[in-house]
Amino acid sequence: MDLLSASPPSAVLLSLFVVGYLVLAGSDIGLGMLMPHVARTPAERRRVAAAIAPYFLASEVWLVAALGVMAGLFPVLEHHVVGALWPVLVVLLAGWLFRDAGLWFRGQVDSARWRFACDTAIVTGSWTLALCWGLVLAGLLGGGASLNPFTVLGAVAVVWLFALRGAAFGAERLVGPDDESGAESADAAARATRTLARVALGTVAATAAVAAVAAAGTGSDGAGSGGSDGLVLTGPGIAVLLVTVLLAALGATSGLSGPILSRHTSALAIAVPGLLVALCAQLPVADMPGMTGVFVWSTLLPAVPVMLIGQVWLYRMTRRPAVPASFFA
Amino acid sequence: MLFRAPTADRRGHPMLEDPLVLARLQFALTAATHYMFVALTLGLAPYILGTQLVAVLRGDRSRMLSVRLWGGLYLVNYGMGVLSGLVMELQLALNWSGLHEMFGYTFAAPLAIETMTAFFIESTFLGLWIFGWDRMGRWAHLFCFTVVTVTAYSSAWWVLISNGFLRHPVGFTMVDGVAHLTDPVALMTNPAAVFAFLHVTSSALLVGALVVAAVSAYHLLRGEDPHRIFRRGMRFAAVVMTVMPFVVVTFGGLQFQIFGQDPPTSGLTYTAAEVEEIESAARSTIATTASTTGEIVMITAWTLMFFLGPVMLLAQFADLLNPLRWLPNLLPRRGAGRRTLAGRVPNWLRPSRWGLTLLLFSPFLPYLASVGGWVFRETNRQPWVVVHHLTTADAVTPMPPGAALVSFTLFTVAFAALAAVTYRLLVRFARLGPEGSPLAERREEGPRETPEPVHTF
Ligand code: HDD
Ligand code: HEM
Ligand code: HEM
Repeated sequence: MDLLSASPPSAVLLSLFVVGYLVLAGSDIGLGMLMPHVARTPAERRRVAAAIAPYFLASEVWLVAALGVMAGLFPVLEHHVVGALWPVLVVLLAGWLFRDAGLWFRGQVDSARWRFACDTAIVTGSWTLALCWGLVLAGLLGGGASLNPFTVLGAVAVVWLFALRGAAFGAERLVGPDDESGAESADAAARATRTLARVALGTVAATAAVAAVAAAGTGSDGAGSGGSDGLVLTGPGIAVLLVTVLLAALGATSGLSGPILSRHTSALAIAVPGLLVALCAQLPVADMPGMTGVFVWSTLLPAVPVMLIGQVWLYRMTRRPAVPASFFA
Repeated sequence: MLFRAPTADRRGHPMLEDPLVLARLQFALTAATHYMFVALTLGLAPYILGTQLVAVLRGDRSRMLSVRLWGGLYLVNYGMGVLSGLVMELQLALNWSGLHEMFGYTFAAPLAIETMTAFFIESTFLGLWIFGWDRMGRWAHLFCFTVVTVTAYSSAWWVLISNGFLRHPVGFTMVDGVAHLTDPVALMTNPAAVFAFLHVTSSALLVGALVVAAVSAYHLLRGEDPHRIFRRGMRFAAVVMTVMPFVVVTFGGLQFQIFGQDPPTSGLTYTAAEVEEIESAARSTIATTASTTGEIVMITAWTLMFFLGPVMLLAQFADLLNPLRWLPNLLPRRGAGRRTLAGRVPNWLRPSRWGLTLLLFSPFLPYLASVGGWVFRETNRQPWVVVHHLTTADAVTPMPPGAALVSFTLFTVAFAALAAVTYRLLVRFARLGPEGSPLAERREEGPRETPEPVHTF
C-alpha cells in the first residue's frame, strides 16, 4: 500500500513534514556541501556559516516532527524503515550529529584551528546527510538498502538536488549588505546552479531510465511497476508525472534563466523525491487504532497555529542577507 | 502468549558481544548525558524568564546584561540537549524496535506529540529569541522566551508521560499482541508520570540554582560584580535552595507509593505466575546494586543540599557575601590604607571565602543526585522495559554483534567528545561573564577573523 491511501490526515501530515524538511533543510545542507567551493577566505566561510545558522534550527525541527509522527502514528512503517535501512540511518545520524556540532560550536572559540575543525564537520556532515538521504529515499522506492543501479543512481541524483538547492540558497543569502564581502561567494553559488542542474538532470534521467528498464524487464507497464531488484511502485502514472515535473524543473534551471528561477525550481526539484516516496512507494502501513488518532490530533491541533506563526515569523525575520556576526559565526 | 525466558539464551555471550548489554549500556550512557543538559535547561529557563521580565518592566539594562549571560549558557547547553535528545529518539527507534512494535501506539504517541508540539515550537521560538534580539520590540522578545520556557517544561511533561508508562503501564488493551490506547486520560494522569514530573522539575530547579550559585561565587571571589548580577544570582540561589528541597522530597516520597504495586493492566500479557517466573529468573545482583547505589546517592545529596539552602540564606542576611567586606584584603595594593580589624584577618580564614569556594563545586550535588535518581528508577524496573508486559531482552532489536558494537562505539565516543566540549564551553563562558557571553553585544565589530585568503579545503 502507498502511504496516502492508509490513513489520510496522518499521512498528509507525515508527507508534509518530510517534504517540508527536504525543501527547507535542502537549503542549509546544500550550502554546507558547497562551502569549500563558494567560500575561500575565512571571512567568506564565516559568512556561509552565518547564512546557514538561523535556518538549520528551524528546518531540522521538521525532520524531528516527521520522526515523531512516524513513531507515534505509523509504528509499523517505522519498523519497516528501520529494519530495511538500519546501517544508513546510523551513518545519517552520525553525520547529522557532527554537522550540528560544527554549527553550534563554530562561533564559540576564537581560533583558526577550531574553526577549521568545525568547518570540516559542517562540510563532511552535510555531504554525509545528503548521501544518506539519497540512499533512504531511493531505498524506500527501490525496496531496501541493497546496492543496485537504481538505488545508487537515485542516491547520487538526490545528492545533486541537495547541492543545487544549496547553490540557489547561497546565491540569494550570501550577498552582503555592503556588497564587497559576500559578492564573490554569491556569484560562485549562482554560477554553480546551472552546472549542478545539468549534472542533476543527467543523473535523474539515467535513474528514470534504469527504473523503466527494470520495469520493462519484468514485462509490466509504466515507469516501473515491478522489477527484479524490488522496484515496485503503486502509482506508475503519478510517478511518471512527478519525474517529468522534476526533469522540467531541472531543465529550466540548466538553461539561461538558471540562477534567477533557481530558488523555486530547486525547491520543486527536491520536493519530488519526497513526494515520490509518499505517493508511489510500496510501504507497509497499518490502520491506526482510532483512540490514538483522537489523542494525537486533539493535542496537535491547538499547537498548529503557534507552530506556523513561529516558523513564518522566523523566516520573515531572517530573510535579509546574513548578518555580520551572530551567535553561530 | 508464548513464554520466553528473557535472558536464558544469552548466558553464553561474552559481555561486549552481546547486543542487549551494549544497547542497554548505550542507552544508559546517552540518557544520563542527555539528562544532565536537560536538567540545566529546565533549571535555568525560569530564572532567565524572571530576570528578563523584571528587566523589561523596569527598563533595567544591568538585568538585561544578566539575561545575556545566563541566556548564553542556556544556548550552549540547549544545543547539546537537542543533539543528545535526537540521538535518544533515534536510538529508541533503532535499538528498541520491540518496544515500538508492541507499544508504538501508547508509549511512542506522547513522544511524537512532544516532538511536534513542544520541540518544534521551542526551537523555533528560541531561534526567534536569538536572532531577534535587536530586531524586535522588548515585549515581543520577552514573549519568545516565555514560549521557550513553557515548551521546555511541556517537553519534560510529555517525555515523562512516556517514561511513566514504562514504569506503570495504564490505559490500553492488547489486540493481537499490540497495545491499543483506550484511555488517554489515564495515560496523562498516570501517577508514575505526574509525580515524576513534579519531582524532576523541582530537582532541576536545584541544578539551575546551584549552577547560578557556582558561577556567581566564581565572580564574587574575584571581587567583580559591577552590575550586581552575581549578588542577585546568589540571592536567587539561596531562596530556591531553601524552598525546593521540600518540594523535591515530597514528590520523591510520593513515588514510593507506586513501588510493589501491580500496574492496572497487569495480566493482559503474562499471567501472574509467568510474571513471577520471569522476575525470579532474571534477578541480578548488578541491577539491584546499581539501584541501591542510585538511591543512596540521591538521598545523601538531598540531605546535604537541605542544609546548604538555609546556610546560604543566613550568609546573605549577615551580608557575608558583600565583596566590600573582604575586597580590601583581596587586593592588598589598593586596600593598604584601610586597616580595619576585618582587613587584618587572613584571606583563608574568612568564612565567606570558604563558603564561596565550596559553592564553586556545589553543582556536583544535584547532578549526582539526578543521575543517581535515574539509575535508581531505570534499574529498578528490570527485567522489564514495560512492567509486566515486555522484557528488556524481548524489546531489543535483533542485530549482529558487530553492528551493535559499531553503533555503541560511535555514539559513546561522539557523546563523550560533545559533552566534554560543551562542558568546557560552559565553564569558559561562565568565567568570561556578561561581556564575553555568546549573546553579548559585539555586533559592531568587523569580522573577527584575519582576512588572508587561504584555501583550506
Ligand atoms: C536533584 C536531584 C534529586 C534529589 C535531590 C532527589 N531526587 Fe529522587 N529522583 C531524581 C532526582 C532527585 C530524578 C533524577 O529526577 C528522578 C529519576 C526519575 C524521576 O522521576 O526523578 C528521581 C527518582 C526518584 C524516585 C522514583 C524511582 C522509581 O520510580 O523507581 C523516588 C522514589 C525518589 N526519587 C525519591 C527521592 C527522595 C525520597 C529524595 C530525597 C530524600 C530524592 N528523591 C531526592
Ligand atoms: C523518557 C525518558 C526515558 C525513557 C523512555 C527511557 C527508556 C529506557 C529504555 C528503553 C531502556 C533500555 C531498556 C532497559 O534496560 O530497560 C532504558 C535503560 C536505562 N535508562 Fe532509561 N529512559 C528514559 C530516561 C532515562 C534517563 C534520563 C536516564 C538517566 C540516567 C536513564 C537511565 C537509564 C539506565 C541507567 C538504563 C539501563 C538500565 C538497565 O539496563 O539496567 N533513563 N531506559
Ligand atoms: C527516551 C528518552 C528521551 C528521548 C527520546 C528524548 C528526546 C528528546 C529530543 C528529541 C530532544 C530534542 C528536541 C526537544 O527539545 O524535544 C530532547 C530535548 C529535551 N528533553 Fe529529552 N528525551 C528523553 C529523555 C528526557 C527526560 C528524562 C527529560 C526530562 C524530564 C527530557 C526532557 C527534555 C527537555 C526539557 C528537552 C529540551 C531542552 C534541552 O534540549 O535541553 N528528556 N529530548
